[in-house]
Amino acid sequence: MNKTVTINISGIIFHIEEDAYEKLSKYLAAIKSLFNKADGGNEIMSDIESRIAEMLQGKTSTVKQVVLMSDVDYVIDNMGKPEEFVSEAMGSGDTDAEVGNSGEEPVKRRLFRDGDNKVIGGVCSGIGHYFGFDPVWLRIALLLLFFFGGTGILLYLILWIAIPEAKTTADKLMMKGEKADINNISKAVKEEAEQLKKRMEKYGKDFRDLSDRAAPRNAAEKAIDFMGDVLTNIGRVLFKILGVLMVIIGLIFFLGLFSSIFGVSFMTSNVEGSEWIDMVLLDGKDFYIGLIGIAIFVGTPIVMMIYGGVKILFKVRYSNRWVNLSAGILWLVGFVMLIYVGTRTSQDFNKVAKLRENIAVQQNDTLVLKMNELSINYGELEVSDEKEEGERNYYHGHRNGYMIGKHDNTKYLLGNASLNVIKSQNGTTDLVIVKEARGNSKDMARLRAKHIVYNVVQQNNEIIFDDLFRVNSLDKFRKQDVTAILRIPVGKVIYLDKSLESLIYDIENVTNTYDGDMVGRRWKMTEAGLVCVDCEGLISVSDHYNGKDDDSDADKELNINVNGVNINAKDASIKVDSNGVNINSKESKVVIDKHGVHVNTAKDK
Amino acid sequence: MVNSENTKAQMRKGVLELCILSILSQGDAYPTEIIEKLKETKLVVVEGTLYPLLTRLKNTGLLTYRWEESTSGPPRKYYMLTEIGVTYLKELQLSWAELVDAVNKTIQPKN
Repeated sequence: MNKTVTINISGIIFHIEEDAYEKLSKYLAAIKSLFNKADGGNEIMSDIESRIAEMLQGKTSTVKQVVLMSDVDYVIDNMGKPEEFVSEAMGSGDTDAEVGNSGEEPVKRRLFRDGDNKVIGGVCSGIGHYFGFDPVWLRIALLLLFFFGGTGILLYLILWIAIPEAKTTADKLMMKGEKADINNISKAVKEEAEQLKKRMEKYGKDFRDLSDRAAPRNAAEKAIDFMGDVLTNIGRVLFKILGVLMVIIGLIFFLGLFSSIFGVSFMTSNVEGSEWIDMVLLDGKDFYIGLIGIAIFVGTPIVMMIYGGVKILFKVRYSNRWVNLSAGILWLVGFVMLIYVGTRTSQDFNKVAKLRENIAVQQNDTLVLKMNELSINYGELEVSDEKEEGERNYYHGHRNGYMIGKHDNTKYLLGNASLNVIKSQNGTTDLVIVKEARGNSKDMARLRAKHIVYNVVQQNNEIIFDDLFRVNSLDKFRKQDVTAILRIPVGKVIYLDKSLESLIYDIENVTNTYDGDMVGRRWKMTEAGLVCVDCEGLISVSDHYNGKDDDSDADKELNINVNGVNINAKDASIKVDSNGVNINSKESKVVIDKHGVHVNTAKDK
Repeated sequence: MVNSENTKAQMRKGVLELCILSILSQGDAYPTEIIEKLKETKLVVVEGTLYPLLTRLKNTGLLTYRWEESTSGPPRKYYMLTEIGVTYLKELQLSWAELVDAVNKTIQPKN
């Protein structure tokens, strides 16, 4: 009695004895590895398989249903051994070292897609076979990855393209390969050790030959061979590492690209590139062309990198010219799209227009200049990151002085305005607001400049400047800029409030004081320029503050320092220091020290 | 030692293309039929060598094929010559005749 296996060759079912099956599968695998590199290798393989099916069918009948060892031998004799294949069909030049292991070595496991157990493309089941686990887990993992910006889909598609489907029986055999049971593993380890030993012996011998110097030329050659051998092995390992790196880096890049373009929150970054693309590019088709262009232009190389890495990792030997070609074409298409959009957009930056707006200012006394922090009103709808208390609440971070903010569901471009103070030539105080913008024509640029919203409010002796100017997103980012210029006549005094620090920009003054040190002081306009009125004896603002802190002492109301905590109220005090805790009030006293806890109330007295 | 087997294989390989094209010029055939004929002339020792060759000839456009159902096994590929194949065969036949002539004259100097 013999055990049989049921196999399917070219769509025809055979019952085959187990040992015959082993031989046939090894034979097919050997042929397969032979034609792998050849053009049309799969076609040749399926032709050969269908011929084998035909031969085997001739050997079986309703009476003799089972394929025997002798039948397999018959097939091999007629079809020819792999070595014969090579010498006849490919010519001696192509003979590879691989051909030697015609049928003796176990079938090495290789990565294929399993078309028989597929849900979509058989990628997961194929990988499951390769690593020997249930593909269900992989499917779940990929499904989860789908929620990370669709990475799951990308990965799947790349693997789908990179991994060939197991079409022929030989493919399917290789896909499942030798099972990794304990016997095989120990066998493999032994073989490996054996090989290593042999190799070491060979190296040792080579070295001895080297030292012989009997045949220097020969020795030199051997040394080169030896080095080559070592380098090949190192190279192979490095190649694998390269594969791993390519996949990992590719995936990270892809996630970065995806999240920055499509605004998928990945990790903690909340920067939406698409918002900026929208802000720069013209509306309508330009935006989409630009977005897709970037995705293709940057994404294609990334995808190809992952693809290459996967191929290295799983030793996928077949190369798909179609994939490389279409990737190249796609990349070029993305490039052209970017150039198209880029040209159109840059044309919209061609012309500059400036708009001046004069505002009369009443100045009777010292004019106080302050800043109104507009940014707080923007972006409140979109707060997702945790912010430190007191930190400005931008929707997006600063980017070259511009940011995008939302207010009442309308998107705005916000830019930092700047303030300058100069000498008035005509004896009156006035304020000039200069608005600047760009466009494809002067008129367009002027219109955009006109659309810039910037508020300055005068209340009695105060002028309050907004820190930001505002542009509706429909107007696009066109290098809009706002400068407020306050012109004051000689003899008049202004006070620069501390809030102005981020608004003022390089205000000229007689003492060449920096902007940061100019705030919080009064300045008087003289013929020579601004002169500080109340800066005497003070070097800088920060020094001024530090000096104040020095005279603090125990009699201050609240004092917290390295020595402890000291709180002094009208009728009570709390003191925590190295001695313990001491709480005093009008009526009671609590002391905790090395002697214990003491509570004294008014009753005890 | 000189390996005559290799030389023979090379020689067979050179003329195999011509033989296959010639066989197909007499009518469409599927690989097994082609092999039967080639085996008669001992040009092919094993069947396996034929398949890569047929695929190559097909891919270069000399041959084409059609599927035909078979009663005794999987569907068969019936190969036939394309127009290019026919012209190519004529050229090959011509140069073969010249070659045979030249070779004969060389190896049989006196006649």
